[in-house]
Amino acid sequence: MDFEALWLTLRLAVGTTAILLVVSLPLAWWIATGRGGGRALVQAVVALPLVLPPTVLGFYLLVALGPLSAPGRLLTRMLGHPLAFSFAGLLVGSVIYSLPFAVQPLVSGFAAVDRAYVEAAEGLGASPWRTFWSVMLPLTRASLLTSAVLTFTHTVGEFGVVLMLGGNIPGATQTLSIALYDRVQEFDYAAANRTALVLVAVSLAALLLIYSRRGGLRRGELV
Amino acid sequence: MSLSETAPHLIVRIQHRLGALELDVAFTLTQPWTVLFGPSGSGKTTVLRAIAGFVRPDAGSIVSRFYGREFAMTDTAKKIFVEPHKRSVRVAGQGAALFPHLTVRENIAFGAEGTAAADIVQEAIARFQLPGMADKFPWMLSGGERQRVAIARAATAAVSLSEGSILLLDEPFTGQDVQLRDELIEELRGWLAHTERPVLSVTHDVGETFQLGTEVIKIADGRVVRQGPVAEVLALERERLLEQLSPSKGTPA
Repeated sequence: MDFEALWLTLRLAVGTTAILLVVSLPLAWWIATGRGGGRALVQAVVALPLVLPPTVLGFYLLVALGPLSAPGRLLTRMLGHPLAFSFAGLLVGSVIYSLPFAVQPLVSGFAAVDRAYVEAAEGLGASPWRTFWSVMLPLTRASLLTSAVLTFTHTVGEFGVVLMLGGNIPGATQTLSIALYDRVQEFDYAAANRTALVLVAVSLAALLLIYSRRGGLRRGELV
Repeated sequence: MSLSETAPHLIVRIQHRLGALELDVAFTLTQPWTVLFGPSGSGKTTVLRAIAGFVRPDAGSIVSRFYGREFAMTDTAKKIFVEPHKRSVRVAGQGAALFPHLTVRENIAFGAEGTAAADIVQEAIARFQLPGMADKFPWMLSGGERQRVAIARAATAAVSLSEGSILLLDEPFTGQDVQLRDELIEELRGWLAHTERPVLSVTHDVGETFQLGTEVIKIADGRVVRQGPVAEVLALERERLLEQLSPSKGTPA
C-alpha cells in the first residue's frame, strides 16, 4: 500500500477543497445574484476545465508556472523554486481544474432560494452580509456539501493535470492515481489493485456523505 | 386620534411603471393605522414595496418626518436611494416567508435588536398566542399559524428599533379565521399604538379594512381615489357598489 501517495492525495484534496470553498462562495454568489455584464464570460471561463482535456490545461499551467514564461520566472524568483513540479504548483492546478465542480452546485443552490427569503431578511433590517450568512448559507447547505464533496473527489481522481504539471515525484507530486498508473506500468497488478481499491473507497465514502444527507434536508421550500 | 409628533410620519409621492400599470400616488400617513385598500392589480403592493426599498420608483420621493426632521429614503431628483435594511421601516411581505431553518422563536428574534430584544420577543410570543409553538419549526405549522408568526416577527423588529419605525404589512391576515383575525388586530393595534409605531397595511378585504382602519387610502388603477376615515371612505364605496348593482338606476321603481 502506497501510504506516501495516499497522504499526498489527501493533503492535495483537502487543500484544494478549502481554497475552492473560499473562492467559490463569492464567485457563485455573484454569478447567481449579481447584476451587470461579464457574467456570461466568467461562467464560460469557470466551466472551461469541464470541456478541455486535462492535458491541455496541464500544459498551459506548466508553461505559465514554469521557467518558460515571464510570470513563471517571476514566481520562481519570488518563491526560490519553480512552482511547476512542486506540491504548491499541483495545488494551483487542482484549484483551477476543479473550479466548475465547486462553483456550479453553489450557483444552482443560490439561484434556487426564493427571493422572498432575501426580502424578508432585508425587511427585518438585516444587512446583505447578515442575509448571506444567516439565511442564504443555511438554506444552501446541501449545495455547499455537494460542492465540497465533488471538489474533493474530483481532485482525488485527477490524473492528466497532475501528470503534466507535477511530473511524477514521490512525496511531492505523485498522487494515488499516478502511483496506480506506475504500478500498472511495472505489471504489479496486485499493488495496482490495492491502490485502486483505496480510490474507490474514498470516492464512495464521499458520495455516500452527499446522498445520505440529502433526504434529511428541507430546503428551498417556501413556508 | 391622529399620530403624535414624536411618531414618524411617512410622506409618499411616487410614479412608477410596472407592466400595464402606471402608478402615480401621493399621500401622507397621519394616523396610527392606515389601510391601503384596493382591488388586486391596483398597485397597492408596489407602493408598499417601494416604501420598503424593494422597488426603485421611476420618479418621486419617499420621506419620513421624525421630530420635525425629514429623512429621504428615496428621492429620484436628488438621486437618493437608501438600501432596504437601512430604512426605518420593518416589513411583513405577502406570504409568510418564515426562515425554514429557524424555530418560531428564532424567526421572531431575527429582526429584534437593542438591549430589550429578548423581552420584546417574549412579549410578541405572548401577544400573538404563540407560546405552544415557540420551539417548533415553520414546516410544523399551518398556513394561518405561519402568517401569525410573520406578523409577530415584523412587529417585533419594528418595536425593537430604538429610533422609531413604520411597520408595513402586505395582506397580513389572509388565511386567519375572522374571530382570531380580530383578536390579532386588537393586540397588534394596542402594542404598536403604545410604542408609537405607525402601520401601513395593504388589503383588498373590506371586512379587514373595517377592523383595521383608522384611516383608509383607496387606490385603483395606480391612483389614490380617496383618503379619509374608514367609515367615510367605505360609505362612499358602498354607495358606488349599490349604484353599480342597481339595474333601474335613475328610473322610478
